[in-house]
Amino acid sequence: MNILSSSAANRPGLYLWGAALFSLLLIALVAAPTLAPRAFPFLEPLKVDTDPENMLSADEPVRVFHNEMKREFALHDLIVVGVVNENNANGVFNPETLRDVYELTKFAETIRWTGEGETERKGVIAADIIAPSTVDSIEQAGLGSVSFDWLMPAPPQTEAEALAVRERAARIPTLNDTLVSGDGKALAIYIPITSKDVSFRIANELRAKIAEFDGDAAYHITGLPIAQDQFGVEMFKQMAISAPIAMALIFALMWFFFRRLNLIVSPMVVAMVSVIGAMGLLVATGNTVHIMSSMIPIFVMPIAVLDAVHILSDFYDRYPAIKDRRKTLEHVMKELWRPMLFTTLTTCAGFASLAFTPIPPVQVFGVFVAIGVFLAWLFTVTLIPAYVMAMPEKAFAGFGMGAGGETDHEATPLARFLHGVGDFAVGRSKLIVAGFLLALAVAGYGITQIRINDNPVKWFHADHEIRIADRALNERFGGTYMAYLALAAEDADDLSAVADAVDARLAALATPQAQTLATEAQALRGSAESAQAMLDALREKAEAAQETTESDDDWYAWDDALLALDAAAQAQEIFKQPEMLRYIETLQAHLAANGLVGKSNALPDIVKTVHRDLFLGEEDAYRIPETPEAVAQTLITYQNSHRPQDLFKLVTPDFKKSVVWLQLKSGDNVDMSAVVADVNAFIADNPPPAAIHHDWFGLTYINVAWQQKMVSGMAKAFAGSFIMVLVLMTLLFRSPSWGLLSMAPLMVTIGVIYGVIGLIGKDYDMPVAVLSSLSLGLAVDYAIHFNARARQLYETIGDWKETAKKAFGEPARAIFRNVIVIGVGFTPLLLAPLVPYQTVGVFISAILFLAGVATLLGLPALITIFKPILFRKRRNAHVAQTA
Amino acid sequence: MLRKPLKLAAAIAALAIAPAFAQDVQEIVDKASAAAYYQGEDGRAKVHMSIKDAQGRERTRDFVILRKDIGDADNGEQRFYVFFERPADVNKTAFLVWKHAGSDDDRWLYLPALDLVKRIAPSDERTSFVGSHFFYEDVSGRGPEEDNHVLEEETDDYYIVRSTPKNASGAEFASYKNWIHKASFIPVKTEYYDANGEVYRTYSALAVETVGGHPTVVKSSMADERIGGVTEMQYSEVAYDTGLSEEIFTERYLRNPPRRELR
Repeated sequence: MNILSSSAANRPGLYLWGAALFSLLLIALVAAPTLAPRAFPFLEPLKVDTDPENMLSADEPVRVFHNEMKREFALHDLIVVGVVNENNANGVFNPETLRDVYELTKFAETIRWTGEGETERKGVIAADIIAPSTVDSIEQAGLGSVSFDWLMPAPPQTEAEALAVRERAARIPTLNDTLVSGDGKALAIYIPITSKDVSFRIANELRAKIAEFDGDAAYHITGLPIAQDQFGVEMFKQMAISAPIAMALIFALMWFFFRRLNLIVSPMVVAMVSVIGAMGLLVATGNTVHIMSSMIPIFVMPIAVLDAVHILSDFYDRYPAIKDRRKTLEHVMKELWRPMLFTTLTTCAGFASLAFTPIPPVQVFGVFVAIGVFLAWLFTVTLIPAYVMAMPEKAFAGFGMGAGGETDHEATPLARFLHGVGDFAVGRSKLIVAGFLLALAVAGYGITQIRINDNPVKWFHADHEIRIADRALNERFGGTYMAYLALAAEDADDLSAVADAVDARLAALATPQAQTLATEAQALRGSAESAQAMLDALREKAEAAQETTESDDDWYAWDDALLALDAAAQAQEIFKQPEMLRYIETLQAHLAANGLVGKSNALPDIVKTVHRDLFLGEEDAYRIPETPEAVAQTLITYQNSHRPQDLFKLVTPDFKKSVVWLQLKSGDNVDMSAVVADVNAFIADNPPPAAIHHDWFGLTYINVAWQQKMVSGMAKAFAGSFIMVLVLMTLLFRSPSWGLLSMAPLMVTIGVIYGVIGLIGKDYDMPVAVLSSLSLGLAVDYAIHFNARARQLYETIGDWKETAKKAFGEPARAIFRNVIVIGVGFTPLLLAPLVPYQTVGVFISAILFLAGVATLLGLPALITIFKPILFRKRRNAHVAQTA
Repeated sequence: MLRKPLKLAAAIAALAIAPAFAQDVQEIVDKASAAAYYQGEDGRAKVHMSIKDAQGRERTRDFVILRKDIGDADNGEQRFYVFFERPADVNKTAFLVWKHAGSDDDRWLYLPALDLVKRIAPSDERTSFVGSHFFYEDVSGRGPEEDNHVLEEETDDYYIVRSTPKNASGAEFASYKNWIHKASFIPVKTEYYDANGEVYRTYSALAVETVGGHPTVVKSSMADERIGGVTEMQYSEVAYDTGLSEEIFTERYLRNPPRRELR
C-alpha cells in the first residue's frame, strides 16, 4: 500500500479527525465573516453574484462600453411592474385600477434610503419613473392652443376619464406599446433603481403595497434585477435541496449494492468534505458564488463518489476471499492506486483547462472543481482506508460479494450479465466497432446542426413566475428585452468643415461686416489649431468691432455676423440635422419590419410627436421638420416639460451621439445576433448622411458577447485538455496506442452527446458548453480503470480472451456500479427549479451511461481487433518470460 | 380650580397672537414677492443661463427678459417677454406671458423656424423653463396667495418662512422654506421639501447689486437633486423704468421682435 493510504490505515483517528477539523475550519472561515462581518473584516464573507454581466470581466471592452453608455445616457436598471386586468372589458383603464396604479407610483417614489455608514442614497430614482402620473402628455387644448401636462395628473373619477388616459397615451409613440400595451388593456410601470443589488428590497416593498389593493388587477413584478434576485434564491434552493437529494439517492443506491450502511457512509463523507473544501476555499479566497460556481458541488460530488465506489466495489468483491480488512485494503489500493491517480489527474486537467477561457466565472468554476477533484482523491485514498480500519472488525462479518451463502462470486445476476456483455464485446468486436462508427457519423451530422443560443430568462422554468410575467408582458407590449444601438459622429477634421460653414453663412449675409469676417476666416483656416480656436478668434474680432460701432445698423450687422458664426459651429451637431433624423427614422422602420424588434424609440419619435402637436395634432405633421433650427426649436419646446432630462436619454447634449432603444420580444442570443446582422447590412446598404459609427450595448447584447467568448473559449480549452489527457494516457500506459485507445470512449461519449444535442434541437447554451469538460473528466475515468485493470490482468494471464473474462469480473462490476450509482444518483437534479441544473442532471446521467457503454463494449471490441498492436511488446515479454 | 382659567387665558392669548403673527408673515411674503419680481415699473435684463447636468455637461442659453407691471401695482398684473438669442438655432424664439394675479397666466410661444405662434393652454407652471432646473414659475414668480405661510424663525438678517401649498395636488413640493433678507426683502435661499420632509431642490441668490436704487439679484442658481445638476443665471445690463410700451407685449411683436428694446 502507498504511504498515504497505509499511514491513514495505521492512524485512522488522526485522519478522520483531521478531515473533520479541516471541514469545520473552512465552515468557520466562511460563517464568521458572513454572519459577523464587523468582527472579521480581514476575512471574506459569502458573496452571491447573480449578474449575468459578470460573465465578462469588468475590463472587457463590450462591458466597459456598456457601462460608459449607460452613464452617458443616464440609463438605469429597471424594475418593471406589469399591470393586467382580465376582469374588465377595458383592462386596467378603469377608475379603480388606475387609482391603485397612481398610489403605487406615489409609493414607489418614496422608496429610498441611506445605508448604514454610507452617504449615497439608494433605492428608486423617482425622477425617472415611467408611469401614467409621471410622464408628460402633449396635446391639443382647443382654440389652437397646445397643452403640456401630466398624462394622468390625478386618478380619474369616471370610466370616461380612465379611457381618456389610454387615448392620450396611445397618441404618443414613445409611450404606446411601452407604457400602455398595444391592445390598450394593460400598462407597465418602469421603476429605475440606483443599482441592481437594491431590487430585492424594493420589490418586497412594492409587493407589500400591492397586497393592500383590493382591486381585481394582476401585478407582475419583473425586470432583469428581479430575475437575478430570483436566480440567487433558486440557486440556494438548488444547493440546499437538489444537491442533498442527489446525495441521499446516491447513498440509497450504494446501500443497494453494498448492503453495509456503516461502510457506505465513507464515500458520502469523502464527497461532503471535498465539497466543503472546494466551496470553503472558493469563498474564503474572495470569489463569488455565481451561477457557475454554484454548480461546483454538483460536479465535485459524482467525481468524489466515483473513486470511492471503485474502492468499495473492489473491497466488497475481495473481502470474502481475503477475510482480513487490512490485507484486502492493501490488495485493493495496490490495484487501484495508479488508475485513481490518473483519473484524478485527467479530470483535474479537464477542469483546470477552463482557466484558459476568457470568462471569469468559468475560470473560477474550472479551477475550484479541479481543487475539489484533487481533494476528493486525497480524501478517498486516506479517509476510506482510515474509515475501514476505524470500524470494528466484527462489522465486516458476512460482508462482501457471495458472502450471503453464495459460493461463486461470479454467479450473481449482475456478474452473469456482465460476463455476457464481455463475451458479446469480444465475440462481435467488428460489429460493435462498426456500430460505434455509425453512431459517430450520425453524431457528426448532428454536431453540424447545433444551434448556439442562450437566454438567461429561460434559465427559469416555463412555469416560473418570472417566465409567466415575461410572457404576459411580451404578449402585450413591444418587448421587454432591451438592446441599445449607439450612433456617434466620427471625430472628423472639423476645422475645414466648420470653416466651410462659416464661409457659406457669412456669404449669405452679404454685408461689409460679414465680408470682413470672411476674409479673416480665410486666413485662419490654414493657421488655426482647431475649429474652436478659429471660432473663438473670429468671435472676439466681431465682438470688439460691435463694441466700438456707432450706428444701430452696424451694430445689428455685427450681431448677425456673430450669429452666423454660432450657427456654423452648430452644423457639427449632427443629430439635429433633419437628414440624419430621417436616416434614423428609416432605420427604425426597417427594424420594425424584420419581426424581431417589437418597438424602437429614438430621437425622431420625440421630434415628430412635438411637431405634430404644434401643428394642430394633424397626422401629416407627424414628420421631421425641414431645417436644423426647426428641429432645435421643436426640442426646446419638448424641454419645457416636467421631464426635460428625458431628451438626453436619446441624445447627448452636444448632439454628437444618439441612441436607438430597441425592445425585443425575445432575449434569445440568436435573435439579438440576427438584429445586429440586420443593422450592419442596413448601414452597409444605406450609407448615413454624415460619418457615424455604430455600436451596441444593453444586456441582451452583452449576453451575445459573452456567449461568443464562451463558445470559442470552450472549444480551445477542450482541445487543449484533450491533448493533455492524451499525453497523460500515453505516459500512464507508456504506449501511444494504449493512450489513443483510452481516448476512444471519450470521443464516442462527447461525439454522441453533442450530436444528440444538435439532432434534438437543444440549444448549445452555458451548461451544455461547460459539460464538455465534465465528459472529458468522467468518460476517460472508466477507460483508465478498464484498461489499467485489463493490462494488469494480461500481464499475469497472457491471453486476451481469458483476460477479458477476468476484466468483466470485478473491474466491470465496479464500472457498472459506478454508472448506476452516479447516473441515477443525479436524476434529482431534474427537480431543480433552474433549467441549467436540470440540463446538468440529464447530461451527467447521459455521459455516465454512454461512457459506461463505450468502455464496456467499445474497449474490449477495439482491443480484440487491435490486440496485435496493443499487446505486441507485452506478448513478446510474456513469451520471453515463460520460455 | 385655579388651573382651568389659566389654561383658558393662555388659549385666548394664543388666539389673539396667531392672527397678528399670520398677518406679519403675509406682509413679509408680499414684500418679498414684490422685491423679487416687481421692482420699478418695468425692467429689462440680459440673461446668460448655464445648465449643468448631473454629469457636469453644460448647455447655455442667452436671452433678454423685458417686464412691465400694469399700473405699477406690486403683486398685480404683469407682462413678460423672453427673447432668445443663443444658441443660434433657437435665435428669435420667444415667450410672451401675461401674468394674472389669482388666475392662470396667458402664455404664448413663438418658434421662428416653424413660423409658428402658439398659445400654451393654462396648465401646470411647475415645468422646466427651456430645459433648465428653473421652472416657469421661478422665472415669473409664484403668487403669494397660493400658499399658507408661517414665520418659522427670525434671525438677525433673515425671516425664515415656511410655505405650504393651499392646493396640495397643484405642486410637486410638500412645502418650501424661504430665507428672506430683512433689509431688502430679497429671498436669498429657497429650499423645497418633498413628502418625506427632505430637501430636493434649492434656489440660491449668489450675487445682489443695487441697480437704479433697487436691490437686484444678478446671479442665482437652482439645483435639483432628483435629476442632479444645477442651472445658473447671470443677469447683465439690468435696467429699470426704461419706459417700455405695453404694446410690445402683444402677440404681434412675437414675430417682429422690438429690436431696439432688445439690443
